[in-house]
Amino acid sequence: MIEIIRNKAKEWLEKNEDGCVIGYERASDGMTARPVFIYEPHMMGKLIFDETCVHNLSKYLLNRRGTRTAVVVKPCDSRGINLLINEHQLDRDSIYIIGVVCPGMKESHFGRIEDHPLSKCRRCLHHTPAVYDVLVGEPQPETASHDYSDVARIEGMSLQERNAFWKEQFGRCIRCYGCRQICIGCYCQECFVDELDPLWVGIRSCPEDNWIWNIGRAFHLSARCISCGECERVCPVGIPLMLANRKLEKESADLFDFEPGMDAATAPPFATFIKEETLEKVE
Amino acid sequence: MTSVIVDNNLHIWLKELAEKYILIAPVTSDGVTLFKHVKAPEVGSIDLQFLNTAVSPKGYFFPLSETIFSIGVERGDVIAPMNADAEVVIFGIRPCDAAGIALIDRVFLAEPVDISYKGKRDRTILIGLACNTPSPECFCTSVGGGPANPMYLDIMLTHTPSGYIVQAITGKGKELTPVTMVEEKDVPSPPTPRIAAIPMEGVREIMRRNFDSPYWDRVADRCIHCNICSYVCPCCYCFDIRDYAGKDKIDRVRSWESCQSAGFTRIAGGHDPRPTKGARLRQRWYHKLLYYPTLFGDIKCTGCGRCVRSCPVNIDIREIIMDVQKLNV
Repeated sequence: MIEIIRNKAKEWLEKNEDGCVIGYERASDGMTARPVFIYEPHMMGKLIFDETCVHNLSKYLLNRRGTRTAVVVKPCDSRGINLLINEHQLDRDSIYIIGVVCPGMKESHFGRIEDHPLSKCRRCLHHTPAVYDVLVGEPQPETASHDYSDVARIEGMSLQERNAFWKEQFGRCIRCYGCRQICIGCYCQECFVDELDPLWVGIRSCPEDNWIWNIGRAFHLSARCISCGECERVCPVGIPLMLANRKLEKESADLFDFEPGMDAATAPPFATFIKEETLEKVE
Repeated sequence: MTSVIVDNNLHIWLKELAEKYILIAPVTSDGVTLFKHVKAPEVGSIDLQFLNTAVSPKGYFFPLSETIFSIGVERGDVIAPMNADAEVVIFGIRPCDAAGIALIDRVFLAEPVDISYKGKRDRTILIGLACNTPSPECFCTSVGGGPANPMYLDIMLTHTPSGYIVQAITGKGKELTPVTMVEEKDVPSPPTPRIAAIPMEGVREIMRRNFDSPYWDRVADRCIHCNICSYVCPCCYCFDIRDYAGKDKIDRVRSWESCQSAGFTRIAGGHDPRPTKGARLRQRWYHKLLYYPTLFGDIKCTGCGRCVRSCPVNIDIREIIMDVQKLNV
């Protein structure tokens, strides 16, 4: 598998001398993976692909707008590319997508690989990339149905219990914005929390502002989150951010029968306006 | 003979501390270990087996956010912040984190003294816990520290199978030592764990010569410019100040900021002297490995390994130091 990735990337870089290949290399712990940017074809031997390649590399395409880039993507990451193309952030022609059929990633930390898969992988439906120029691996059938048991657990709580649960979780937030920086859907030139005039939220960290930040972040991704789970992975204080994302994913699937990033042509529901649409009154 | 406090007595002592002081100690919940305020009935929840907390305890001196003063809207009068005067005990602080506070001291306690920081520093007692099992990302011994280094602590505790060895380091520490609970026993210190050494020779000189190296842009390729490394760090101390207008008063609030965030050096008119990812990433390493050492003599890093552990894309300070030594142009 890795030889195919290396050969395809090398072939492409030899034809696109000013280009860059974004893939995975071995991290400094000698056992997990990290992103690597390769500018010279003879360096392609660095590339690896295994169950620790958790990172969503499509985010880096935003830094390379206007240049030619090849990128190694898993199915979830590939949906991010569709999202960005649909939102006019990327030019499809300048990207070469090496899509990898995903075996599911394992939970891994610096110097440690756990036996169990990442929680996002346990619930993943799509094992073949949604968009690619070259596919590595045999296409796999999709998992039949969603498992929203995690979301249902929170839905089953009373309003007070839910409030207490999120207060405890968001109470740990240190406002490092790791979740935003890693997120493929967060590419605003100026995030609402960085805006000074008007000062919506600002730099202050307090329970109320942490709440606004975390809820605001989730809502800005409703029907846009492609479930790569990167926000939750990078959170240094372990806030279960995907719970909020998945709740909104479930709502948008129920209301609009929409799954973000499955193709580049369909715009997310909140980016479309259909005159005939009516509001339903929620009791 | 060594002074030892057995596990049962430690529990009683912690309860007493929680009754008399604001007790801050490591607690693990939802899989995350953090320093938390622990009240007397909760001392059983203190995690004594922890490796280290996810975020350093620097926030107890230099908070994530604090109001430094307020201005009354009606009369324009300056309102000093409500300063708590209760004494604080931080229990279980690791030697690397105490060293981090000592590094911040040199900046915040130099003239003009930061009053808010000094107030918290003066009324806080540090009870350290020696590291018997360091993490794979630890490298304190390469930056002047050690897993059992008692410097910068008031009391040092070392866990052994027969209880905790108690060493009072400062006068404050001697006063706080629970004499009646401590037994004089012949307990050997546990073997000092081995921590891989990072060669540090000539780093400062090489950094000085390689400011314009393309190396920084290459490392920055994978940096996502979040603030995680700076915020979990025990000795990063940059902040930003903003005014928050309320109905009756305007609060001047100081909060953590990071040289890694895009707007950090943007000035009026929109100019940014560090406009690129490479320039921002380089700043963090230059501050740690060249600017601070030039001013104060020591590297601004305690080898706690938090940034290595928490970096989403494996930017590893040890690797940076070793790469820098190969740059030598």
